[in-house]
Amino acid sequence: MADYVIEMLGISKFFPGIKANDNITLQLKRGEIHALLGENGAGKSTLMSVLFGLYQPDEGVIKKDGKVVKINNPNDANDLKIGMVHQHFKLVECYTVLENIILGVEPNTAGFLKLSETREKIINLSNKYGLKIDPDAVVENITVGMQQRVEILKMLYRDNDILIFDEPTAVLTPQEIDELMLIMKKLASEGKSILFISHKLSEIMSVANRCSVLRKGKYIGTVDIKDTTPEDLSTMMVGRKVNLQLEKKEAAPSETVLDVDNLTVSSSSSKKDVVKDVSFNVRRGEIVCIAGIEGNGQTELVQAITGLMKHKNGTIKLCGNDITNDSIRERSKKGISHIPEDRHKHGLVLDYNLAQNMVLQKYREPEFQKFGFIKFDAIKKYAQRLIKQFDVRSGQGVDTIVRSMSGGNQQKAIIAREIDKDPELLIAVQPTRGLDVGAIEYIHKAIIEQRDAGKAVLLVSLELDEVMNLSDRILVMYEGELVGEFKSSEVTTEQLGLFMTGAKKDKVSKEATK
Amino acid sequence: MSAGLLILIKFTLLSGIVLMYVALGGCFSEHSGVINIALEGVMVIGALFGILTLCVLPKSLPGFLIVTISIFVAMLSGIIYSSLLAFASINLKADQTIGGTALNILATAIALVVVKRYNNVINPGSQSPKLTYDNSLFLFKVGPLTLNVFIVLGLILLIASYLVLYKTKFGLHLRACGEHPQAADSVGINVYKMRWAGVLISGGLAGIGGMAYIVPSVQIWNFEVGVGGMGFLALAVMIFGKWHPGYIFLGSLFFAIFKSLANIYDSTFLANFHLTKEIYNMMPFIASLIVLMFTSKNSKAPKAEGIPYDKGMR
Amino acid sequence: MKKCVAIASSLVCIILGLLFGLIFLVCLSPADSIESGFKPLIMSGLDSAFNPILMEAGSNLIKVGQTIAEATPIIMTGLSVAFAFKMGLFNIGAAGQYTLGALGALYFALVLHCPWYICLLAATLFGAVWGMIPGLLKAFLNINEVISCIMLNWIGLYAVNTIIYGNGKSAMYNSSQSKAYTVADVNPDSLIPSNLFGIDLTQFFAYKAANISLLFVIIIAVVILVVLNFTTFGYELKACGLNKDAAKYAGINEKRNIVLAMLISGALAGFGAGLFYLSGTAQWNPQDSTALPAAGFDGITVALLGLLNPIGCIFSGLFISHIKVGGTMMVQSIFPSEISEVITGLIVYLCAFTPIIQEKITKFMFKSKRGTQPDANSVSSDDNDIDNDNIDDNDKEDK
Repeated sequence: MADYVIEMLGISKFFPGIKANDNITLQLKRGEIHALLGENGAGKSTLMSVLFGLYQPDEGVIKKDGKVVKINNPNDANDLKIGMVHQHFKLVECYTVLENIILGVEPNTAGFLKLSETREKIINLSNKYGLKIDPDAVVENITVGMQQRVEILKMLYRDNDILIFDEPTAVLTPQEIDELMLIMKKLASEGKSILFISHKLSEIMSVANRCSVLRKGKYIGTVDIKDTTPEDLSTMMVGRKVNLQLEKKEAAPSETVLDVDNLTVSSSSSKKDVVKDVSFNVRRGEIVCIAGIEGNGQTELVQAITGLMKHKNGTIKLCGNDITNDSIRERSKKGISHIPEDRHKHGLVLDYNLAQNMVLQKYREPEFQKFGFIKFDAIKKYAQRLIKQFDVRSGQGVDTIVRSMSGGNQQKAIIAREIDKDPELLIAVQPTRGLDVGAIEYIHKAIIEQRDAGKAVLLVSLELDEVMNLSDRILVMYEGELVGEFKSSEVTTEQLGLFMTGAKKDKVSKEATK
Repeated sequence: MSAGLLILIKFTLLSGIVLMYVALGGCFSEHSGVINIALEGVMVIGALFGILTLCVLPKSLPGFLIVTISIFVAMLSGIIYSSLLAFASINLKADQTIGGTALNILATAIALVVVKRYNNVINPGSQSPKLTYDNSLFLFKVGPLTLNVFIVLGLILLIASYLVLYKTKFGLHLRACGEHPQAADSVGINVYKMRWAGVLISGGLAGIGGMAYIVPSVQIWNFEVGVGGMGFLALAVMIFGKWHPGYIFLGSLFFAIFKSLANIYDSTFLANFHLTKEIYNMMPFIASLIVLMFTSKNSKAPKAEGIPYDKGMR
Repeated sequence: MKKCVAIASSLVCIILGLLFGLIFLVCLSPADSIESGFKPLIMSGLDSAFNPILMEAGSNLIKVGQTIAEATPIIMTGLSVAFAFKMGLFNIGAAGQYTLGALGALYFALVLHCPWYICLLAATLFGAVWGMIPGLLKAFLNINEVISCIMLNWIGLYAVNTIIYGNGKSAMYNSSQSKAYTVADVNPDSLIPSNLFGIDLTQFFAYKAANISLLFVIIIAVVILVVLNFTTFGYELKACGLNKDAAKYAGINEKRNIVLAMLISGALAGFGAGLFYLSGTAQWNPQDSTALPAAGFDGITVALLGLLNPIGCIFSGLFISHIKVGGTMMVQSIFPSEISEVITGLIVYLCAFTPIIQEKITKFMFKSKRGTQPDANSVSSDDNDIDNDNIDDNDKEDK
């Protein structure tokens, strides 16, 4: 009995319209690293939120050390020594590291904070587990890696025994991932039990003892890692055999489409340069990928190219024409298509219907308006053609309010709109974020098709697997500079990782590629 | 000239302390994540019930008691009235700006109905929107300057506000709710409770602020006027003061100088410019617009302010 | 279906608002609360419309005329607020724009002696300029429009008072009454005509301020409806309001649209002031220097209660005006007329909960659809009552 520290038995959780968890069982042994594998939307996060007290299960029980417990809120979870590192860190950015660690369990006299003793304890913990932090640094100024260490220290400070890691590697470099794996092993050897949520098979294979798999809200099974292969796991996860390797021909780049020279961009909030003197080009028939850790200037670089952000210095040319000072609309008309990083923020007006979203940049074309009056029929017909051609699925066809559509179909709608513009340059920023394998495959194929049709493609991705699979040429960005350029066939993820953390630097100039 | 300086100081202190109370109130509310645009209305309600208490309490009571009770009532009525905003914006997740605007409209109307009704009962036939009261208990003299109890209380509350916000567990929790409520929730802080606390504290401070605006300076008040935009000016002071009690104190004095120009222009060298009172009345508002122009670009506003917190949405 | 729920939610706001108003009346004086309070408040003179004695005297429609005349400015400020809302802007500055509009109308009428349409245009223009300022500040300096509008309200009020008073020497200031002159006294040519298809509305309602302004208001509301729903400009505005980042991504010039939306919003408020101050009875009081015109804030009530729909604003404007006139008909010694303001304030407060009320109504209707339907029916019959009420008003005007 006491083998299991935590048992989640027959857990179901329903949301309006969906069964996020359907009769799921998960048993965690003391001192093990237990992976929870599933695609985006398989219900992993919901299950963990139930365990952490953020949601109440509609059915099923949770047992701690064999006794049934009720976890109504994070406080209950904390009392049961359960801690969690969330996928999106739960850190107050303007607080110091120290304040974040003690938040909620502050040592105090009559309500007044006592910080000095706490500092001792935190420094000891950080030394013991090799979690390097600066207790007085303000969170918004520290690296993502350190933020994660702060999250781990938050759990250790609370003496938690059951540690949940929700997709902890998504934001890390290969080196940081290795480091995290070591820390996790160390924690397990100290008697902590770890739940490790991931959809990356290699990480699970290297660190976990056992693995439970979820698919579409259902429990598929639990396997011992030493008795399984990545292929088996991926079949369990997706429900069919998945071709992990994309098929694509060798690139045949021709003339330059996008030509960026000495581009510098300043952040809008602070005056700092976030893109520094960047020069590169993208040619017809190739996929160029900008790799890097989140927040190293990729977003701003793309926004400067598409016109969403103002540049400070440098020039941008499209097919030989200077577009540096063109408006967003002019750039779009001249042939830039942009699949934005955040589809809800930039890509769609969620409360407009599908038809209205399909003409987001085109409503002013004579095709769709006359004397400023919108031709609704024309828009409807156009949208109908697009959703048929690109297999966008929605409840009420083109009249569906986009907010009610699934993430995958929303993304497909954007891709349909952007590809149908028949652009010279397709910019795709994290085009597969948060999607399931089916949608990812579809989108990858669509991007390669565009390349083969002779478009120039600029891809920005944080997922190194995607970078390696999809691109022909890789540029690494670190602190606003391009620090390395590789052919994707001639580089390993480890090498990329070194450049992404700034451990290695080359000066990238365009001459190399010409 | 020195006489002019003296009255400048007097009026600056008078309105500066009012702005400080209310801006501190706004500061608590916004640090918890709720934009309190209803401060103007809360001031009116605080002033109304504070002054009514002052009118109703028997003169035979010790002065100390009268002062304490009426200020307490002003604070309490501010707290109760702001609970309407808290309920709407925290529990029902209503739009905070609309809710606040409603309370502003409502406050003046309620004040007028209550005052007219009160006057009618005291003096049948009267429909006056004015209340008359005795403010001598609130005033005391230090040398040539006439000061009032609100200045003393205000300075105490200023220091208390600083300590509470930055040195206590409560303050750490409160500010976390305005910056990143999801983070606060994940470590077991009850975001709803903290936001309620923030709004109620702001109501209490604005309630006292309303009374402090009216009582020390005059002995008769026309409630058709409300509090003449002081609550809104306090919002500007709060923004100018970067949501921090220390800067808010300086900011309120800065704005108060502009505010007091209208009171002193005719008795100082300003009289030479032959400008009307209305022009001086405009000054603080113009000043606040200009200040906003220079401060809006890098605002220190709590990140989650104005966004209703929904436990279900993570 | 969705529209019905929305309308029902507005009616719930009204009913709850009136209910709280009644409770307030009972608190003030339980014995008189119905006869001298609530009844005149909600009837607001409609009961006397068919009173034979008053019909004989020809004064049976005075209150109806007053309701309509006082509704037009607040429908305009309501349209102003609703229009800005579509762009995602909260125009709390309608009061200031209205104030400037009043100055425009009065200056052109009392000083320049222009004909009414020029005065109306001036009012619109003045309002537009005052609305444009917060628009510019928002677009180029990223200043929250709520704060800048509030400041501009007060600046506008003091400025207008200074100009109209002019140290007591202004041509607009009537020192014997310590108020501005009425347009009717100085230059009747500046009054908005009251003759509609051969019927003199002033005589018809026996109310001095009755004129054809409701006609203008209806036309403008329809134009706004068309612009919002059928044009590329409306598409852009709503896109900016719903998701400004996506609008920017789409190449829509958000800054231009913010300025334009605020300018139009201000113009609508200014036009409303023009309608009111060119109607014959209104007088500006420059000495009353600390009260902003209520019409500006009523606009918020009207817009929210009218569900931000231009046509809805017409009905909600008539309703709010109806209650306000009713407020003045209560026995004032017991029930001050501000009670109607309390009710409108409550209605705005309740309007802030509209999403939740709508959710409840939807649930409620689904439940009652399965079982018997008496409740759903009662909701819709209330709907008819109010609509009839307003249609009656319109009919009378047309006759």
